[in-house]
Amino acid sequence: MATMKTAEGQLESSSGLGEVIYSEAQIRARVAELGAEISHDYEGLELCLIGILKGALFFLADLMRALTIPSIVDFMAISRFGPPSNTHGEARLLKDLDISLENRHALVIDNIVDTGFTLSYLMRALQARNPASLEVCVFLNRPRRRLIDLPLKYIGFEAPDEFMVGYGLGLDERLRQLPYIAYFDPEQKDS
Amino acid sequence: MRPIDNPNPPSDFAHPIEAEFARLLDFYRIPWHYEPKTFPLAEDPEGNITEAFTPDFYLPSQDLYVELTTRKQALITEKNGKIRAMKEHYPEIKVKLLNRRDMETMLVKYGMVEETPNLIGNPNGNNEDG
Repeated sequence: MATMKTAEGQLESSSGLGEVIYSEAQIRARVAELGAEISHDYEGLELCLIGILKGALFFLADLMRALTIPSIVDFMAISRFGPPSNTHGEARLLKDLDISLENRHALVIDNIVDTGFTLSYLMRALQARNPASLEVCVFLNRPRRRLIDLPLKYIGFEAPDEFMVGYGLGLDERLRQLPYIAYFDPEQKDS
Repeated sequence: MRPIDNPNPPSDFAHPIEAEFARLLDFYRIPWHYEPKTFPLAEDPEGNITEAFTPDFYLPSQDLYVELTTRKQALITEKNGKIRAMKEHYPEIKVKLLNRRDMETMLVKYGMVEETPNLIGNPNGNNEDG
């Protein structure tokens, strides 16, 4: 049993929440490094950040503010795989870009890459839109289960092969808002 | 030794987790073949195959074979040995083993906590994972 402080200052408990893997300070420092590296690589250019909803929300917001180059932002969301009772057919875009990628320098932002299924699906869709360049920045890379080879240009951390929550990673849509990343044991989860 | 094409791959999956994995691949439009090749690993002096390995899936877009196992970590020694032998005899072939824990983590990630016991079954099973 671990505790977290809500925005209202109340203490809320969550069974299954374990040890912190990346603290708020570690995350802040790594995002600043990534921001500096990306700003250097794209110096003199305007960058189009494409956030993959919902997980990339917090990382994208922090990274964009760490950039020192001009940037614009848009979002994409894809339908989620799940039980046969509520998953029909193939993945589809739930939210597409509002802006055109034609001749823009695009950087896809995601919080974690595991098998690579979701990201590869989105990259196929984005490559067809003729961007001037298309690269990927992920906060957490977990290559052990990687089945689809993906070129990841920027990586925050090589993540352990464990279930994690926080900083955009959720379980049943909860705990995404934790400012740190912690281990989580789904078997200990509150019902 | 050379891989052997399976001209008539099985039409049914050997284990529920394999059917679920195929559904996952279809969802993300990733082409796959089920048990398309058998890789001989050992032969007797007469050249008869005495040991072989047939990975569950082949992903042609990645040129990657995938083997799924739902056995406990302690019980997959034989499978790990076959993967090692594959790497020794066929170093150019890419094979990935996804174990029981990988399956569990993947199912939980996709919100399928309730379905997990039925899909990954008995961890002590002998031939359940094909």
